Amino acid sequence: MTTSPDPQVARPFDIREFTRTAQGNFRSELDLASYESEPLSAQELEFLRYAARLEAATMEHLRNLLVTATHKDARVTAFLVTWAFEKFWMADALDAVLEAHGLPRTRTVPEGAPRRSADEAIQRSGPIRRALAAVGLGTPIVAVHMTVGLIDEWILRAAYDHLRETTTSSALRDTIGRIQIIKTRHEAFFADETDWRLRDSKAAVRRARAALLTAAWPIGGVERAAVDRDMFETFVFGGTGGAARAESIGTRVAALPGMDARMGSVTAKKLLP
Amino acid sequence: MAFDIDKYAAGSERLGWDDLDLEHFRQNPLSPETLRTLRYMADVEYHTVCYTRDLLTTPSHKDGDISTFMTMWNREEFWHGEALGAVLEVHGITVDYDALRASRLKLGWRDRLDPIKQSMLGKIVGSDFVAVHMSWGAANEWSAVSAYKRMADLETDPVLGELLRRIAKQETRHVAFYVSQARERLQKSKRAQKLTRLLLSKFWAPVGSSIMERDDVQFVFGQIMSGVEGRKEMKKLDNNIASLPGMQGLTIFEKALDGLGVAA
Ligand SMILES: [Fe+2]
Ligand SMILES: [Fe+2]
Repeated sequence: MTTSPDPQVARPFDIREFTRTAQGNFRSELDLASYESEPLSAQELEFLRYAARLEAATMEHLRNLLVTATHKDARVTAFLVTWAFEKFWMADALDAVLEAHGLPRTRTVPEGAPRRSADEAIQRSGPIRRALAAVGLGTPIVAVHMTVGLIDEWILRAAYDHLRETTTSSALRDTIGRIQIIKTRHEAFFADETDWRLRDSKAAVRRARAALLTAAWPIGGVERAAVDRDMFETFVFGGTGGAARAESIGTRVAALPGMDARMGSVTAKKLLP
Repeated sequence: MAFDIDKYAAGSERLGWDDLDLEHFRQNPLSPETLRTLRYMADVEYHTVCYTRDLLTTPSHKDGDISTFMTMWNREEFWHGEALGAVLEVHGITVDYDALRASRLKLGWRDRLDPIKQSMLGKIVGSDFVAVHMSWGAANEWSAVSAYKRMADLETDPVLGELLRRIAKQETRHVAFYVSQARERLQKSKRAQKLTRLLLSKFWAPVGSSIMERDDVQFVFGQIMSGVEGRKEMKKLDNNIASLPGMQGLTIFEKALDGLGVAA
């Protein structure tokens, strides 16, 4: 497939190259043997379990995007198809680390009960409500999905960075580093799309601002277990430097087209434990 | 026979054609009729993700095997589109993202309400609807295998024939998944059988019917499913469906071809 040149925006992200060079299974390249002599801490394993759930939840997320006008955009769906494939294998790599510790793979482990808070109710709305809510919205919804996708990548990057900085296991550092390289292209795509779409349309900015007010992080968080979310927030955004990490994400949100300090601090606040 | 989902995922690859000499079409171009059918097939393949959307609004996506399959399947189908797109490209026919978007935009209101309708249906009948989804998928994948194989037999071009056979090979794995799922789920529930039978006989239409113009659909199915051999293939498809629990006697393919006025 060829990509039509866009006269207005030069998009540096090469979707064709991305789809052609997707990263599949890399389990065999992981250093799993070293965990025998140097096992990870219970806290690290808990984090990996949750990260595996987040990376694997692509079909849930795809469902929420595809019931809206986002499915009409063939460039975005080409990306999403490949993105889901890469995330599947990232989750598999995380499972490999868990299995090396004698733990079962994530899909066989029942998930705990989700949080029940009124302000996140909208995030829990099923496909019917999402489809109804999207009727008449047209393309601005794509901008919303791209913006939320970008911020989600920033959050996961902060989390993986923090894990790499705090772990004593070089094997884990390598595996997480490997995953982060794959995620670089996802972030680049969302960044490109967010930038031009928010610049392109005032309606898109309005919708994105409204979405950030009700967002729950990371994406799909409302479906995840309350205990896992607490653990994630405390680990990444609690303790020394935690607030600064949340703040740094807030600053980047504020700098997006059409966003401001208010949107930045709303987002940063939601990340805190 | 149970479908080994881990083995399928581990073996799932994007379709390759680097070893095929597509430049050979510059000297030996395909006929306009063949190109029209290939264009139809490419569009259907690229739109797979839109069907996924309709299917994901049912409870199916919560099932680990199904979501693993959908992840790999979506990507394989996308690359079928890319492969066919590459053949069209050599003939000066460009399938780009904007052209695809244009055909998706044409879907309009009917399409917009589809996931809503499907999802409500999904809620009402709960997990029985997963059986419908899986049977539906089986019918579609069976017809994909037939279409690619028929096309490969009808075409004398060796390069195209090889490419189509490679695609058909992946389609047979899709069939295996959907059939094993459908069989298992239908076996377990008489209610699922009744619902599937009702929906297949009332609403099933050949893949692409909802996204392509009617004369395109007629043309393509006329090309690959008409005549004695075509009807033979059609009977085979109907027999496949009829072999699923509770589907005895269904003739959805025959009904569809007759409805399109495809000559026997
Ligand atoms: Fe296909
Ligand atoms: Fe298929």
